[in-house]
Amino acid sequence: MATQSGIYHQTYESDMQLRPTTAQRVRMVLVIAFVLVLPLLVSQNEVRIVNKVMIAAIGAIGLNILVGYTGQISLGQGAFLAVGAYGCGLLMVYFQVPWGLALMAGALITAVVGGLFGLPSLRLKGLYLAVATLAAQQIVEWIIIRWDPIDGTIDGKATDALRIPSNFLFGNSAWRLNDNEYAFYYFVFVVLAIVVIGSVNLFRTHYGRAFIAIRDQDIAAEVMGVNLFYYKVLAFAVSSFLVGLAGGLTTIHSTAISFERFTIDVSIAYLAMIIVGGLGSISGAIYGAIFIEILPEILRSIGQALVQNRLVSDQVFVTVLPFVQQGTFGLLIILMLIVEPEGIRKLWSNIKDYFRLWPFSY
Amino acid sequence: MKKYLVVLVVACLWLVGLVGAQTGEPIKIGAVFDLSGPTGDVGTPYAEGVIAYVNWVNENGGINGRPIELLSQDYKYDVATAENLYKQFVSQGVVVFMGWGTGDTLALVDKIAEDQIPFISASYSASLNDPQGSAPYNFLVATTYGDQMEIMIRHMAAKWVEAGNDLADMRIVVFHNDSPFGTDPVPQGQAYAEAAGIGGFLSIPQPRGATDFNAEIQKADDFGVTHIIVQNVSSGAALLARNVVDYFGSNEEIVFGCLNWCADELFVTRAGAAAEGTLGAIPFTPTTVEVEGQVIPREVLKAQGRTLEEASLHFTQGWAATAVMVEGIRRTLEAGLELTGPNIRATLEQMENFETGGLMAPVTFTPEDHRSTRALAIYRVENGIWVQDSELIDLRALETE
Repeated sequence: MATQSGIYHQTYESDMQLRPTTAQRVRMVLVIAFVLVLPLLVSQNEVRIVNKVMIAAIGAIGLNILVGYTGQISLGQGAFLAVGAYGCGLLMVYFQVPWGLALMAGALITAVVGGLFGLPSLRLKGLYLAVATLAAQQIVEWIIIRWDPIDGTIDGKATDALRIPSNFLFGNSAWRLNDNEYAFYYFVFVVLAIVVIGSVNLFRTHYGRAFIAIRDQDIAAEVMGVNLFYYKVLAFAVSSFLVGLAGGLTTIHSTAISFERFTIDVSIAYLAMIIVGGLGSISGAIYGAIFIEILPEILRSIGQALVQNRLVSDQVFVTVLPFVQQGTFGLLIILMLIVEPEGIRKLWSNIKDYFRLWPFSY
Repeated sequence: MKKYLVVLVVACLWLVGLVGAQTGEPIKIGAVFDLSGPTGDVGTPYAEGVIAYVNWVNENGGINGRPIELLSQDYKYDVATAENLYKQFVSQGVVVFMGWGTGDTLALVDKIAEDQIPFISASYSASLNDPQGSAPYNFLVATTYGDQMEIMIRHMAAKWVEAGNDLADMRIVVFHNDSPFGTDPVPQGQAYAEAAGIGGFLSIPQPRGATDFNAEIQKADDFGVTHIIVQNVSSGAALLARNVVDYFGSNEEIVFGCLNWCADELFVTRAGAAAEGTLGAIPFTPTTVEVEGQVIPREVLKAQGRTLEEASLHFTQGWAATAVMVEGIRRTLEAGLELTGPNIRATLEQMENFETGGLMAPVTFTPEDHRSTRALAIYRVENGIWVQDSELIDLRALETE
């Protein structure tokens, strides 16, 4: 390996491989082994956090397709998550649709809604488009808050949160998706794996290349024959499909959903994920989701350990610690971006390059 | 009489403390607080109240000799975080839980029922009172928002008639937070206003992030508003109060009333002179009205170099809510029952007229009704402090009459 000065492909098949090097294949096996073993090593609560990371990763990949690959800024992530979540939830609650079908239907509905809100993208770019997607956020939130049946009703009275029925993996009563974190873990991992493989391959097709062309130079892309309107709306739809999928997974993972899960803060958190992880990269979206979801948990457990071991007083716990935690979270994000503006993905490849070129790195 | 009772209770606890100074196995209580989220300004004193009460019980011998271990965290008013923390604390063996917001409490209702964890939240939404149905383990420790609204309207109407006016000329406008929390009391208020023959009732949401409410006030003025009731947090209510005074030129024109989440010290500070004369439907006695129940919180705070006035009425609120829950645990232990969710629930449901030394109306739970009380007294801002404006108005008593 080390003596090779490049990767040579002698057949078209090998050229088309997703993971051409042995190192990549070994890593893939290690990752799969790690994923299979992880639940045996950690508690149910920690698995729950990992589950949230995987849901976030799916949503972040969706957003990255739109923002990182196609260059269309969206502040409507929370809204699209909500459409997927409520689409899936309402189908289950009002029409008793099986959860798997409801999940897919929710994602498809989100794709349509996303495409609809993507229509202005032909005329609007950059910050202007961001504001247009912000409208999506406001409209969806408004509908959820104001339209009573959306949050479910009991005896004609609004309940303010949509109660989600219990769903079981393969109909097995022990594998309840909103309670048994292990069952959900393996299920969501399979979904994530399909999403990752699908997204990586998307950018090896002419659709994906068109998205990237639009991002890099939309006028040049148009000159080359890329139908801007079609591909921009398609990017919105594909992206929203995955975001809706993440929303639907949130529903299936919960016992109740309300608008408070899908506010503008969520949209911004997702943008932070893909920026910290690496724009225009599938693995970057996953790294970002891990960073943004796990870091607060780590800071929180440090805080908890400090309190339980009586290292800080109750007064400090109540008045100072929360702000130290938030401040640290913010600082780490800034630090991350200063160290490597292209995100964790670049940081990772820098590390790999260092070892690959060692000892003759210059 | 009540004073002696408190002294007696303290003495008993002290004796228990001497005999069995916290030798028993700790009793775990879970809690989520909003310390740094959007409701952190009121969530922090509430958390301090909960923590102070737990510490006080522990310093005085615990519950029947068993110390309380409080597992708590800041959840930043984030529903998903609340769910995580709830599950974590339950897996660590908490027997009861102290919650906070409407959104997270609603999101947890089914889990609470399933895990059989008695749950007291700082959300007083009537939809959480469904002991026979969807919310068997949720207890409402204060007057519901709907009842607060109804009591406020009754009080306003009585004064209006007293002043020689006709109910048909009374026009109430409710300004509310644009969320389920905000809209919760509106239907009950409207139903009561219509039944009582009040001239008009209109509800207007307060847009989030607004820097003034002049457009909304204009709408209220067109409606011919005579009374305003606010269901919002103090920042939104204070801004509205200032705008109302600017719009109408004085505090005298419109009767202004706040339900419990804006009727507090923060509202007075933020609204300044505009707060003068504001009515408050407050289930927990403000710090400026002396009651016996404040003696111990004052001492506890004094030891920390603080005063109850500084700590605010939300401190009292956290303190009283925890007192109710701890009383449920204590009675369960005294009855010789195992400390399980169903047993604590059953004990709480037998609680009748439990006194918190006047910190709130006497607490009564039944298997059919998990609302601790349907009574509260109306307070009024006078020279920058809350003073009592009415006796306890009890809807349970009024409805049985």
